[in-house]
Order: sequence, then C-alpha cells, then structure tokens
Amino acid sequence: MTKGFRQSQAFLHTWSGLLLGWVLFIVFVTGTIAFWREGLNRWMRPEVARVEQPMQVLAGAQRFLVGKAPDAKSWSIAMPNDRTPGARVSWRPQPKAGEQPRRRGRRNDNQATIGADGEMQQVRDTRGGDFFYRFHFDLHYMPVIFARWLVGLAAMAMLVAILSGIVTHKKIFKDFFTLRRAKGQRSWLDGHNAVAVLGLPFHLMITYTGLVTLMALLMPWAVVANYSDQGKLFDVLFPHVEDVERSGRPAPLVDLTRVVRTAERQLGGPIGSIEVSEPGDTAARITVYRSAASMLSSWTPKATYDGTTGALVWRSPAPGGAAVTEGAMIGLHSGRFADYGLRWIYFLGGVAGSLMVGSGLVLWTVKRREKLPDPTRPYFGFRLVEKLNVTTIGGFPLGIAAFFWANRLLPVAMRGRAEWEVTTLFIAWGAALLLASVMRSKPAWVLLLGATGILLALIPVFDLIATDRGLFASLASGDYLIAGIDLTFLAFGLAFLATARRVLRFKPKDRRQRLPRAAAPAAQPELELVS
Amino acid sequence: MTAKARARVLQWWHRTDIVLRILAAIPIGYAVASLWAMALARLLPMARSEATITATLIAFALCAFAAMWAFAARTGWKALWTLAVIGAVPATIAWVSFAIEGRS
Repeated sequence: MTKGFRQSQAFLHTWSGLLLGWVLFIVFVTGTIAFWREGLNRWMRPEVARVEQPMQVLAGAQRFLVGKAPDAKSWSIAMPNDRTPGARVSWRPQPKAGEQPRRRGRRNDNQATIGADGEMQQVRDTRGGDFFYRFHFDLHYMPVIFARWLVGLAAMAMLVAILSGIVTHKKIFKDFFTLRRAKGQRSWLDGHNAVAVLGLPFHLMITYTGLVTLMALLMPWAVVANYSDQGKLFDVLFPHVEDVERSGRPAPLVDLTRVVRTAERQLGGPIGSIEVSEPGDTAARITVYRSAASMLSSWTPKATYDGTTGALVWRSPAPGGAAVTEGAMIGLHSGRFADYGLRWIYFLGGVAGSLMVGSGLVLWTVKRREKLPDPTRPYFGFRLVEKLNVTTIGGFPLGIAAFFWANRLLPVAMRGRAEWEVTTLFIAWGAALLLASVMRSKPAWVLLLGATGILLALIPVFDLIATDRGLFASLASGDYLIAGIDLTFLAFGLAFLATARRVLRFKPKDRRQRLPRAAAPAAQPELELVS
Repeated sequence: MTAKARARVLQWWHRTDIVLRILAAIPIGYAVASLWAMALARLLPMARSEATITATLIAFALCAFAAMWAFAARTGWKALWTLAVIGAVPATIAWVSFAIEGRS
C-alpha cells in the first residue's frame, strides 16, 4: 500500500465520519436499544403479566374478536409468547360502499391487548420498544422517505468510514492490544481503535445489512431494469393466495389454536402472526406466518388454511437463493433470530459501535485542540463540532432516560400519552442543546452525563418501590428479561456517573501555558474495560 | 507571480480538487453503482427476480469502493473521468440489452 493511498483514505475517514457522525450516533444508539425491542415492549407495559399459556391467550383473542368484530374484513393477531406483552390484536372493518380500502396505519383505533389470562386488558398507551425500532430508520418529526434517505446516506458514509479506517491502520492487529491511558489524544485514538477493531466484523455486517434493509428505496435500479412495475417483483418474492370474496353465508370460524398447532408442524417452527380474512363467513381464510425469531431469514414461510374446516389451502413456495440471502441479511441485521446469549453479543456490538462513533467525533476536537492558535477562542467550525458533540453524545442519552421516566410517570389515562412520551425525549434533548450552547463544554458534559446517569440508575429503584414488578419480584418469578432490563439501566446509570466524574476531575496538561478552560472530556471508563 | 498569489492559486486548486472528488464520490459513484446494478440485473444467468436481488446486493459495495477511489485517485479530474469510463461500460450493456428485449 502506498503512503499516498493511506493518506487519502485517512482524509476520507475523518470527513465521512464527522459529517454524518451525529446522525450515525443516534442511529447506532437507537438500533442498539432496539435489540431489546420485545423486552422493552413488555417492560414499558408493566401492568401486563408474562404470558405462561400462549394457546390460552390465543383462544381468548379469538373469543374477544368474535365478540368485538364478528364481520370484520380481517383480523390480525400477534402470536403471544413469553416475550410479548400479551397478544396484540387488531381488526379492519368492512369498507363502506364507495370507500377506498384503508391501508393499515400506525395509528389504528381498532386494536386491543389480550392479557396473560386471555381477557382483554386496558394497557397504558405507549410505543414501547417499537419506538426505538422505528426511530432507528424513520427518525421523527420528518417524512419517513426523507429520513430513510438520510439514514441510508449515513450508513453508506459509515461503510466508507469503516473501509477507509481499515486502510488507514498500519498496524490494525497491534493497535487492538494497545491502550495508553490518560495520555490525551493518544488515549482517545487507542480507545476509538479498540472499540472499532473489537467490533469490526459486527460493524461491517450491521452497516452492510442495514443498507440491504432499505434497498428497495436506496437502490431500486436493478428492479427498474427488469420490471415495469415493482409490484411484479414483489408478487414473485412474496407470493400470496388470492383474496377471497365474502359469500354472505355465515359460518363459525375454526378454532385458531388448532390451526396454529397444525401450522407449527407444517411450517417447521413457532408461529409469529395470524391473519384472518372474512371471519365468520364460509369464505374465511386463515394465513399463518412462521415466527422470524425461529429462523435466520426474515422472509418467513407462511401457510393459508380454510377458515371453516381448517384444511390447508396454500403454502408459500421455497424462495430462491438470492431471496434467501437477502432475507438472511435482513435477519442478521435485526437479530430477531438470536436467543438471549446472542442478543447480548448483538447489544454489546451495538454499544461498541456507539462508542466508536462517539469517540471518533470527540477525537476530531481533541486532535484539533492541540493546534488551536488560541485555545480560549477557537474558530467557529471547532466550536460548532464541540457543541454538537455535547448535544448529541451527552444530550441524546438524557432524552432517552427522560423517555423511560415519562413511561413510568405520565398518567395512565392521559390523552395522546404515547406521543407525550416521545415529546418528553425531545424536550429533554432540546434542553441539552440549549445548555450546550450557553455553557462551556466541560461543565455541560459533566451536567448532561451526570443527569443521565442519575436518571438511569434511579429507574430500577422506582420500579422496586412503585411497581409490583421490581428487580427482586422479577428474579423471584424467574422473569429474567425484565430483571435484566432493570439491571442494565442500573449498570448504564453507574457508567454514565463514573464518566461524569472522570470529566469533572480531568485537568488538561498545562502544555505551552494553556488555560485549562477549553478542557476535553477525559477517557471514558468503558474504554478501560478493553485494556 | 508573487509567493502570495501562488499560494492563493494553490489553495483555489486544492478546493476545486476536493469539490471534484466529492462529486465523483457521491452522485457519480452512486450513478456508477446504479448502472452496474442495472447491467448485472439484465445479464446474470439466473431467474429474473434472483438476478435483480443479487445485482442490488452487490451495488452497495460498488458504491463504497467508488467513494474510496474518488479520494484515492491522483487528482479529482482523474477520479471523475475514470469513474465515467467505469460507468459507461454497464450503461452500454444495459442499453444493448434493452434493445434486444424489453422489461417484463
């Protein structure tokens, strides 16, 4: 490798990393949290008990839907299991004459939760862990198409930053074992290298597969080259049985638990969701999807059954090699297939990625601070990057901590409660922006990291005192998913507090008679773990 | 030319070079990757849907390599014209392929 090549890639690494680094940090953090999406869906609805008897809940869901929407166009049931907050069901009424059939939106009034006892249950209005999943690629307060292009551009910048970062490294293997502590810029670089190289296979995998999840939007040109209409490709990729017409002759729907048992056998694994079209009619059909948690590929097989007899009508054909590859890449990205052990590795990979992006952003300022002509009056670009770093790396976690507190504290009967939880996140984040712009960086770092630490560490304490689902109750009942979430809040709270303490105590070396006011945050304690 | 004027010309040249590289990396790089995706989708010897997906999966890597090349080339101009040539090949392939058989 020539020196020129490496230098050009170092330039590319710095600037592709910096310019989209703030978006990347947010995408990485929300994506990392979203690995516990199902767990948080339950944790954020503490009134719903853990499902012990999924089939009993499913039978309850069918009873509820027969009573509530006997002649609906369709029903949809998320198959309950010990990770789901009961069974979430929704239904679509028959379209009125002349009315366009409505697409199922996110804000669907026709939905309910069936609790662990099989009865309909009133549950607090919350987006749950799904919020992080959507935010990860749809962001918020902006059209989703724009957000996905922005996230896609950031992911491509990330891929370029990773590849050019590998090239930039002369001694990638040796660097991995090097951590010079408390040495200013060197320590930041060592820390950045350690988390980057430690998680390198994960970072590469997650970035490339992330682009694949958005490929229909980001790279439609191969489809354009072969098909006059994208729908023609989707018909091949996601085949489905033809829609049925309502006959008008009523007939009771077959027992769904029986159909699910048959489907589990025929599809070769646990079931993820069930759709019933034209229930209560002789034409009724039941389509059952295998759970994405049970296989690597996200394109799970499905089967359609007759609604009155329960006989198999149709099965999805085996997909082609390229389609399976795509489905597996999306499956690898979302990690739904991963059991708890592997899920922890995913989570730690995500934490390493967040630290990589965060430390890279800080490194930009640390490197340039040394060369400032007058450190007390840095130039505009430097100040901008520094403030944005404080707002994003210090402020966004504060917003997330506030989001979880809003979930616990907002009145259960509040109107628009779910959206207020999200609004709380942005109010806290906005406050962080305000703080960062009026305060000097060092006290702003300490304040934001410290406040985040206190808020996170107190969440399990609140759960212990104010809910009947505290840490010890969860452990005693063997509900390790909820206990694990509480303990993770505690661990992250303590880590944030320790980091705040490090920053507070940090005194820059008085090299060249510098004034200490333009202080950089000290190395984060997380980085010491790999030394 | 005075030293000051020469420095100014050099700086101007440097900036133009960066702008050309960014153009080569983002819009041109994406266009080259897209053209290869189209050509591969037409040419790969497999079922139409399979070729379409395979071509798309590969295209993201091409996009990243184009961006790396845009900054590795000796000059911004060189990055631009080399990528233009690399893009002209699949454009021709796709064009000929369309002339032989249309889309489904």
